[in-house]
Amino acid sequence: MLDLNRAVALALLGFSSGYGYLAYFYHLLPFEKFLAVRPNTMPIGLAIAGIICSLVILIQPQVPKVEVEGDGTVNRPDAEYLQNPQNYNWGQGIGLLLLAVVYVLSLRGVGFLFSTSAFLVLGGILLGERRYTLLIPISITASVLVWYLVDQVLTIYLRPWPGWVYY
Amino acid sequence: MLDGMLLGLETAFTFQNLFFAALGCFIGTIIGMLPGLGPMSVVAIMIPVSLQIGDPSTTLILLAGVYYGAIFGGSTSSILINAPGVAGTVSSSFDGYPMSQNGQAGKALTIAAISSFSGGTIGVVLLMFFAPALASFAILFWSAEYFALMLLGLSAVSAFAGKGKVLKAVMMTLLGLMLATVGESSLFHAPRFTLGIMDLQSGINFVTLAMGLFAVPEAFFLAIDKIRSKKSSSKKSQEISNLRINLKEAKAIAPVIGRQSIQGFLIGVMPGTGATIASFLGYAVERNLASPEEREEFGKGSIKGLAAPETANNAASTGSFVPLLTLGIPGSGTTAVLLGAFIALNLQPGPQLMQDRPEVFWSIIMSMYFGNIVLLVLNLPLVPYIARLLSIPRSFLIPFVLFFAMAGAYIGQNNATELLLLLGFGVLAIIFRFADYPLPPLLIGFVLGQMFEDNLGRAIRNANGIEFIWERPMTLTLILTAAVFILIPILRDWQENKSSK
Repeated sequence: MLDLNRAVALALLGFSSGYGYLAYFYHLLPFEKFLAVRPNTMPIGLAIAGIICSLVILIQPQVPKVEVEGDGTVNRPDAEYLQNPQNYNWGQGIGLLLLAVVYVLSLRGVGFLFSTSAFLVLGGILLGERRYTLLIPISITASVLVWYLVDQVLTIYLRPWPGWVYY
Repeated sequence: MLDGMLLGLETAFTFQNLFFAALGCFIGTIIGMLPGLGPMSVVAIMIPVSLQIGDPSTTLILLAGVYYGAIFGGSTSSILINAPGVAGTVSSSFDGYPMSQNGQAGKALTIAAISSFSGGTIGVVLLMFFAPALASFAILFWSAEYFALMLLGLSAVSAFAGKGKVLKAVMMTLLGLMLATVGESSLFHAPRFTLGIMDLQSGINFVTLAMGLFAVPEAFFLAIDKIRSKKSSSKKSQEISNLRINLKEAKAIAPVIGRQSIQGFLIGVMPGTGATIASFLGYAVERNLASPEEREEFGKGSIKGLAAPETANNAASTGSFVPLLTLGIPGSGTTAVLLGAFIALNLQPGPQLMQDRPEVFWSIIMSMYFGNIVLLVLNLPLVPYIARLLSIPRSFLIPFVLFFAMAGAYIGQNNATELLLLLGFGVLAIIFRFADYPLPPLLIGFVLGQMFEDNLGRAIRNANGIEFIWERPMTLTLILTAAVFILIPILRDWQENKSSK
């Protein structure tokens, strides 16, 4: 009964309620009490609308899926694949996301060049690439190139080496 | 207006701006061609880099070039490997892919290039007349009308979300509005809803949200998608030859191009619609207009069936600049991303833009002529070579997509914590996509949220109450239209549900 659609609606209901709670008990500055529009006026309205909307999604009968979408990301092939989860390489997708989290966490400590090269190489290996002679040089070149563009050309500081190396 | 056009020409036709227009088209074409990367992600990835240029006209010329380049590039992958890179070119694959299977890939690409060029160019001519007219009307608007207009924009986005998803789209818009209230706001004195987290003090960064919502799920879906990955990797890029079309074919598609340019443009102008809807409608309309024997051809490699969506989606992506430039209301997900770029450049798109910064306003329009020519030149002779990109193995493509998304957010923020937020949004977006919740309304709600609240606040303060809603006829009309936009699809769905039981 509780499919993903409704589970998301439930989560949104929770989010709206939490947001509404924060908005309702928002600590107004003394003079803000006399404003026509207070900092929490619109948020309270949004929270109420959100609660109503998510409740309706939660209790309304399921509508069969349709193919033509609005201007958006869920294009037709996706809609077809969404029906049968056996079609997915779950491991690769989730592994990639976890790898990205590790990459982000390692950026500061290990430095941009090492962590980016490692991310690209490990990502490639995760997705089934076995031509290491191709993968490793391309990844290293790309990370050096991006570092050069960002740090030297655009002058946005990116720590290139691990923290313990003096730069 | 002539003044403006000349000023625009002067600004657009400097070497720097021509170069960046061409560069934008080129980048857009290449990235848009890669399956799974839509114009929204492409433009979002390009924003942080292009902001470094410094000159607002140049930045926007580049981004506009990326946008229509991406629409254009998407058609190539639709035709050659039946894997549309962009939702707006899905209907190009209906007839384009059969054509390339019949060995007419070259001809299909030529027709796509010509149709896109014509649709884009006619669209720009219309834009040139439409935008100033609308802007000179919209200059009369007060904050009350702006509030109503934004309500209209937000509701239209939800209304066009597709059957059975209206409520979900409304919910996503509300979520976007809620996220927009995080952090500091111009109207009030203290940051709100930060939960004590320092990184949220200045609000959620737009590029971070856009990347999280679009680039991360696209990388994820590319990774987990067995079928599509097989499609793009197993097929060697076939020989593309014989790019010519003959006079008879040109005559056949000319009226299609004429009709679809105008129709596509008008659909693009309406808030909430965009290239996708324009191309589907264009295909459907041309199919109905065709003679019975031609109708048989549709879906099996009809040149009209290819020309129609290709013209319409380019005309519509030009048309969607009208509400963006004149009212400051994004009509689609991609123009919402562009609106973010305007704000980052400290430009307020809207009727004042034409008054205050005419050189920006007009140079964007003027550069589109040039951009369309670049696309034509780029695509006719170079497409066989560019199409080799389609054989990039996914094991290289996907990590790079993810990496560029994160690098883009990092350049904008200089903050690694921001990237965790990005990945968090990405995971949420993946769940939303599995549950079939539309994401563009979320982004549009987020972009409009701040302005929505500011204008509402100003209107209420000016009027000292909410009488302005019924005392100003323009406001009332806009709000009622917004209500109709929301209610009609909901009632329609409800009716269908009842009758299907």
